[in-house]
Amino acid sequence: MIKKVLIANRGEIAVRIIRACREMGIETVAVCSEADRNALHAMLADQTICIGPAPSSESYLNINRIISATMTSGADAIHPGFGFLSEDSRFARICERCNITFIGPSSEMIAASGNKAQAKKTMMDAGVPTIPGSAEAARTVEDGLRLAEIATYPVMIKAALGGGGKGMRVARSKDVFTQAFQTAQQEAVNAFGDGSMYIEHYVEHPKHIEVQILADKFGNVVSLGERDCSIQRNHQKLIEETPCETLSEEKRRAICEAAVKAAKAVNYENAGTVEFLLEPSGNFYFMEMNTRIQVEHPITEWVTGIDLIKEQIKIASGEKLGFTQDDIKIKGHSIEVRINAEDAEHKFRPCPGKIELAYLPGGQGVRIDSAVYSGLEIPPYYDSMLAKLSVWAPTREEAIKKAQSALGEVIITGIKTNIDYQYGIITSPEFISGNTDIDFIDKFSRK
Amino acid sequence: MELRYLFKKTQSAQGGSDTPKNEDNGPQTPQGLFHKCTKCGETIFSEELKRNLFVCPKCGNYFRMFAATRIDSILDDGTFEEWDPDIVESNPLGTPGYEDKLAKLRDKTSLDEAVVTGKGLINGHPACLGVMDCRFMMASMGSVVGEKITRMFERATEDRLPVIIYTASGGARMQEGIISLMQMAKTSAAIKRHSDAGLLYVTVLTDPTTGGVTASFAMLGDIILAEPGALIGFAGPRVIEQTIGQKLPEGFQRAEFLRDHGFVDDIVTRTDMKDYLTDILAFHEDKKDFKPGKNAKIKLPKSSGKLTPWDKVMISRGKDRPVAEDYIRQLFPDFMEFHGDRFVKDDKAIMGGIATFAGKAVTVIAESKGHDTKENIERNFGMPSPDGYRKALRLMRQAEKFGRPVICFVDTPGAYCGLEAEERGQGEAIARNLYEMSSLKVPVLSIIISEAGSGGALALAVSDEVWMFENAIYAILSPEGYASILWKDSKRASEAASEMKLTAKDMMDNRIIDKIIAEPENLCENNIDAVVAQLKEGISGFIGSNEGFDGEELAKKRYERYRRY
Repeated sequence: MIKKVLIANRGEIAVRIIRACREMGIETVAVCSEADRNALHAMLADQTICIGPAPSSESYLNINRIISATMTSGADAIHPGFGFLSEDSRFARICERCNITFIGPSSEMIAASGNKAQAKKTMMDAGVPTIPGSAEAARTVEDGLRLAEIATYPVMIKAALGGGGKGMRVARSKDVFTQAFQTAQQEAVNAFGDGSMYIEHYVEHPKHIEVQILADKFGNVVSLGERDCSIQRNHQKLIEETPCETLSEEKRRAICEAAVKAAKAVNYENAGTVEFLLEPSGNFYFMEMNTRIQVEHPITEWVTGIDLIKEQIKIASGEKLGFTQDDIKIKGHSIEVRINAEDAEHKFRPCPGKIELAYLPGGQGVRIDSAVYSGLEIPPYYDSMLAKLSVWAPTREEAIKKAQSALGEVIITGIKTNIDYQYGIITSPEFISGNTDIDFIDKFSRK
Repeated sequence: MELRYLFKKTQSAQGGSDTPKNEDNGPQTPQGLFHKCTKCGETIFSEELKRNLFVCPKCGNYFRMFAATRIDSILDDGTFEEWDPDIVESNPLGTPGYEDKLAKLRDKTSLDEAVVTGKGLINGHPACLGVMDCRFMMASMGSVVGEKITRMFERATEDRLPVIIYTASGGARMQEGIISLMQMAKTSAAIKRHSDAGLLYVTVLTDPTTGGVTASFAMLGDIILAEPGALIGFAGPRVIEQTIGQKLPEGFQRAEFLRDHGFVDDIVTRTDMKDYLTDILAFHEDKKDFKPGKNAKIKLPKSSGKLTPWDKVMISRGKDRPVAEDYIRQLFPDFMEFHGDRFVKDDKAIMGGIATFAGKAVTVIAESKGHDTKENIERNFGMPSPDGYRKALRLMRQAEKFGRPVICFVDTPGAYCGLEAEERGQGEAIARNLYEMSSLKVPVLSIIISEAGSGGALALAVSDEVWMFENAIYAILSPEGYASILWKDSKRASEAASEMKLTAKDMMDNRIIDKIIAEPENLCENNIDAVVAQLKEGISGFIGSNEGFDGEELAKKRYERYRRY
């Protein structure tokens, strides 16, 4: 069993990991940058090592310093959290070579998931649905029409050498394909000097659905239900919930089974998330696999009663999963709201500075994952997330009410936050209806 | 308020630092997991360093490479056939402990000696390959190193194969005394035979290449390449500093210094090296036949109309007029530039190298003006120094060895007139080119693209055919100089231009040139196609008519050509 964990991260996730370790009787080592000496994680851990100047490249991303800190502290494992080095296969590889337990999948798995084209192929071979479309490029309208039939309409036509939206067109049916293909190809030739076009099924108004999985060293894989993460701005998730309101029981089973299949296809180990795009039609397609703990993991913990961080540590220690798929019962509804230090009125630019007062709510079914306290200086060098508010209630309706009530209590002064913006979303009829997709924020912002 | 002292810590924690560290199966950094960069001090993950071909990903510093890794990085997988791995060395001076030392090194390095030789394929092209490895007595050259290299050249000569050697060495092997010195002569002699058989030898100088290896096979390549920053010299820098009692300047004896001083053809990165060598081998393979495509019907550009000779002088010096590099880029897209005269310097006023034209390897040499003032300063306004002419001659001799036609672009106000040019023998350099070009055993074509000033131009124009652009000029000196000498008034240059008979038409009338390339009005980059098409057709005809040439015959005809003036 792991005796001492070094947490190669900062902020609320570092705090979250320290708490899990403490409950398990495992000692913790925090690392911090010079800008984070007063950060909560640095003060909460049993031992803290300052590993360098404020810029991440000199501290939280500096592999050599983190390995040195591990050796000096006598830690036998590293938890990478999310972001920073969590999906750096080289870091995982160095840990393996140094006989340090990396709490996460193997370096090989991380590398394989990082190679998107390869990952898509692996999933196709394993029978996990992927966005229809071929790796072959079309140069003529005839080729294009043939490939479009395979991809199924509507299709996206995009330049092989493309970028920046140039040489991209959507064709909704066969009738308009020729015209769209020719225009896109002409643009591609003009812009990139090459008319090779990829044809792919166009996934319209999808939901972002991801499935949490846990896999141990012995090939046992269980899914812990899905999370609906459709409320996102510039690919940055804002609000997540589970279960997904519009998913039928049958679809839920299918998507969770696909996730388990995906994990088994790569012999996955530890906690991971399989991301899908879910079409209104009910079709879903594999996007990618995240080989780390996710920001939004608390909502899965709420509805399953499983502590994912503890499970990660147990799996890394070589333990067998203590439950099977049948033991997993999704109960009630959970919603997470991310609270960021950003100015919603000025293009969400980050707003570092000193927190004068932080008042965070509590009460039944309310959970706060945060690393802020009154008087803390938020440094400008890192991610702007301050806290995660998550709630649980037996039904979605009650959960929304609870989220509204709790978020309404959050007070952070001294810096600008997105609290009001988020409050606007969770009180809007569009959100309450549950009929959301990844274009939600675009529409919401235009209102 | 300091929260850190208020929080209660993990129950089992005994203050953290007391935890037993590094148990047998606990975390530890295995030997060789990291490398420290000798230049920037960065700790680099070995696996990453290996993927990066042993170049520091942070600062670009080149680590020394093991021979086996080097061979893997250059040769196609599984094609290496090692030669002579078990030659037994002697201990000619009876140096005590020498045999023991060698035995220990063999154990430690898994090498049998400081060089590995053999043959293999580079992207499918066969070549002999020698790679030195510094771990073995600083890759010093004793009798076994000399013998392996000599045998490789002998076999290569017999099997008609090119040779590539990656050099790295501290020099002669002291323990073997005078026998070691003789290896320099022995290897050089074997290379001479290989060269006399018309075969290609390429050296790649790596860090460090010094002493007796520099002074023998390292510097004898037809083409000499170097890795960035490699130390290359005869005497080591420390010895020089001690002898002259001075601190050596930054960059002294580095690859870049050697290139600027004329001894290295090009500096090539490790990432590019395999492709670069592939191209060189391809250029030198016999099967490169001339395959001229069908020429499209050329529409001759509309001439600029009536221009006075002085107009032409001004046009030929025009700032938007294309320079040699523009024609080279259009006509020879695979042009590979080589640097240096192998004596003093790389003169940028002359650009030279190899390329293919319709499948046929050719040598291209050009007097090279710049596009703007900055480039012109770099290229000395197209006025070559003796070093430039010597570079040109070196490349012509190389062309002769490999039977490649030579195509020269002439564009110079004249040979550079300056102190250093005289010190290094400007007159001698020009004379030598006229002398050698007259009997070169390969076809030579010279194209006067703009200005052809005096001996500086003629030094690239003793040829089988000389062509001239319609508005180019060719003269014994500048019109300004002519007016100044004859009339003591350089302002009468335009009048001189008329008297001097320096236009292309005048040259044609005097049978100095063989062809005029028609020019569009205001020849510039935008309308360069009009002349490039004519050049393509012309060069195609020139190479075609000289296919299967007889070198002696060519030289004889060239002699007669110049004999008639």
